[in-house]
Amino acid sequence: MFSFTSNSSQRIVEAFVGEYASGKSEIAINRALELKDQGHKVTLVDLDTVEPFYTLRVISKQLWETGLNIISYNREDSFGLGETGAMLKPAARWALMNEGDVILDIGYGVHGARTLNLVEGAFESPELCIIAVINGTRPMTNSRARTREFLEELGRVDAVILNTHLGDQTTLDIIIEGNQFIREAAEELGVPIAYIAISEDFRGLIPADQWDLPVKYIKRYMPGAIW
Amino acid sequence: MSAPAPAMPKSWYVPSKPHKFCPGCGHGIVLKALGEAIDELGIQDQAIFGCDIGCSLLSWDFFACDSTQTHHGRTTPVMVGIKRSRPELICIGYMGDGGGYSIGSQHLLNSAVRNERVTLILVNNTNYGMTGGQMAPTTLPGQKTETTPYGRDPEVTGYPTMGPEFIAAVTPDSAYVARGTVARFKQLKKYIKTALQNQIAGNGFSFVEVLSTCPTNWRTNAQQTWNFLEDEMEKQFPVGELKNPLGKGDK
Amino acid sequence: MPNVIGEPKKSFMTGNETAAWACLAAGAEIMFGYPITPQNEIMHYWTRLAPKYDKGFLQTEDELSAGFTVCGSVQSGKKAFTATAGPGNVLMQEPFGMAEAMRLPLLAIIQQRGGPSSGTVVYSQQEVTLTTFGGNGEGMRIVYSTASHQEIYDYIIKGFNTAWKYRFPVFILGDGYQAKMREPLEMYDPEDRGIEMVKPYPLIGLGGEIGKDREAEHLCNIYSLEEELYEVVMKVAAEYESIQDNLVEYSEKNCEDADVIILSHGVVSRAAEDAMNILRAQGIKAGYFRPITLRPYPQQQLRDAIAKSGAKVLLCAESAYGQLQRLTKQELYGETIKMESLFMPGVGIIDYDIVEKVKSVI
Repeated sequence: MFSFTSNSSQRIVEAFVGEYASGKSEIAINRALELKDQGHKVTLVDLDTVEPFYTLRVISKQLWETGLNIISYNREDSFGLGETGAMLKPAARWALMNEGDVILDIGYGVHGARTLNLVEGAFESPELCIIAVINGTRPMTNSRARTREFLEELGRVDAVILNTHLGDQTTLDIIIEGNQFIREAAEELGVPIAYIAISEDFRGLIPADQWDLPVKYIKRYMPGAIW
Repeated sequence: MSAPAPAMPKSWYVPSKPHKFCPGCGHGIVLKALGEAIDELGIQDQAIFGCDIGCSLLSWDFFACDSTQTHHGRTTPVMVGIKRSRPELICIGYMGDGGGYSIGSQHLLNSAVRNERVTLILVNNTNYGMTGGQMAPTTLPGQKTETTPYGRDPEVTGYPTMGPEFIAAVTPDSAYVARGTVARFKQLKKYIKTALQNQIAGNGFSFVEVLSTCPTNWRTNAQQTWNFLEDEMEKQFPVGELKNPLGKGDK
Repeated sequence: MPNVIGEPKKSFMTGNETAAWACLAAGAEIMFGYPITPQNEIMHYWTRLAPKYDKGFLQTEDELSAGFTVCGSVQSGKKAFTATAGPGNVLMQEPFGMAEAMRLPLLAIIQQRGGPSSGTVVYSQQEVTLTTFGGNGEGMRIVYSTASHQEIYDYIIKGFNTAWKYRFPVFILGDGYQAKMREPLEMYDPEDRGIEMVKPYPLIGLGGEIGKDREAEHLCNIYSLEEELYEVVMKVAAEYESIQDNLVEYSEKNCEDADVIILSHGVVSRAAEDAMNILRAQGIKAGYFRPITLRPYPQQQLRDAIAKSGAKVLLCAESAYGQLQRLTKQELYGETIKMESLFMPGVGIIDYDIVEKVKSVI
């Protein structure tokens, strides 16, 4: 099984990739805060070049207040930038120069993990771990075959997070069914599974022996945005 | 004894004849060349004729072919939309120099770059005819029009647009590009026919500019009209094939 | 038509993706488009799906071209569509006008952004006037204003049928929030819900031998005489009016005894419904009325709601400076109900904003 525990001398560099609306940003935020709570110094980088002003910017202020180092455009930064084209905040290019752990939230797009080419030294970094976030209710990843096809198109993937949910309409059955075929697809491709991510609303509702995989309960931050 | 009926191409739409172009206008000659080319290629039933706004509009029911109208400059995208949807149809866009080189220039340029499989025929008569003789992109330096009453000054309004030359520069070798003139009917018909054959073969973009006459707005008599076409215009706009994937150019 | 969805499935999606999948499920054959935020992912997803389902796509040089290629495509008998926003919607009014004049059954998805001019790329409801009455015509269009991803899906399927059945251009009016927000919906193949998709047919390129099997088709889009045009416009207007009753859609809640009716459309109506419930819980008799079709407008239904409730105030809440209210005023000519407004151009409206406003005007 894939393990996140690294030797303590090594810092953590994780990049989250996945489908549009797969939950990359939520997982990245949760991971950054988890590491911070463990006493790490953490930089969270918004690398969404397709819609930078729609994602982290809405909650970046709130995240700053938690003590994370955030590299993201703020609402006020976006003034005059107009069309949200491929905007890369210069600091993001040098994100790995930051001391401590670096969590990279990679936006969706046909280039997948290749977006990391924009981050100086990313692919040369021995610590880099590229993690695909998959939600089994997304049309492009709603079956074993489709998930497999999607993972194959992504390029380098070091691990997979099973993140099946249906927003406010999530049920335990939906979680179990979706995560099962994602797991099968990942296992077919020999990609390790990092963990199952489940909304903290389900804490205590899931039988302990449901899976032989680690489960992480995550808090949803994005609903704090207006949509 | 009644005179024999004038020979009309089979693909012409008889109820719309006689046509409504001015006496001495070159459009009739271009459309006759097109009609005969359609007949010889036997494509009347597959042809879609699309005309622009301007004098070219007067041809909207000229052919016994399925035909459609659009807005000024927009014939090119309408033809592209049809061709992309029904590749078996032979799409023929017919426009003037204002529609093609001015208000619709972005469509012309980009459809040429994309090597769209359509045939466009652009009639160059050096002015906006239907609106009353204003300056067009093709107006010659020094030429008087209603909006260049002292003659076109290239310092102020630039030089005439060299359409086939710029299209030849942006298209691949599978495109057909030529400039003909109503003064040489046989040659013109050959160009138009080749432009249609190039589309039928699925090769690429096919474009023919035609030097034509506009005595009404030029205010010229027959002799002056012909002189302007053959001497003045040809000096600025060289006639010939610039690209011909189906054979050797004759330029 | 091959099943594209199969077993109906709940999916967690953005509005733009929903639009692309809905077009696919509706049997759309080709999209023409030009990049503009916030509709881009409609193109992104369509181009991802197109080769898998043998569908067409062309990225044109601008929105004029996107609109006119769609006009050409539907004339040739294909179910074609486009999507745009803001300044792109302005440019497309020219081809949309052609579609109105020539009765071309095109479908356009409009994801409103902030205006005027380039405005913001994010959100607004400021393309109501443009989408309902844009162009040099008489507004002979059908405009559905959606409020959820499920509605984007449902009304795109319905919209293609409306377009091909009645041959008026159809608009799905969304906005940047709907385009980008994520929520669950159920996708389905229309046939599985008993929805029969209207088959497209060509207006030109009709086959057969001309002069023998049939006459050549000459589609006309310009008229030489005032009287000719008059006859055409009057005929189109009469046809439009004759189908209005079949087309009008609206949603009405708690208007039977309402003292105040909250009027809204699109995504704002979600906040309006929440606000109504909050107000009711506080003992304030609030009602809710939402036109789903902005063209044609459910004017008789709104008049009836006002009459039966005896409401004193009609509060219009919109993320624009009065575009819905202007539309409503002209439709309600003669009514004497007091009209109040909550105009928040380019800004999202939440239930609290409406609750506070209602309390300040009653």
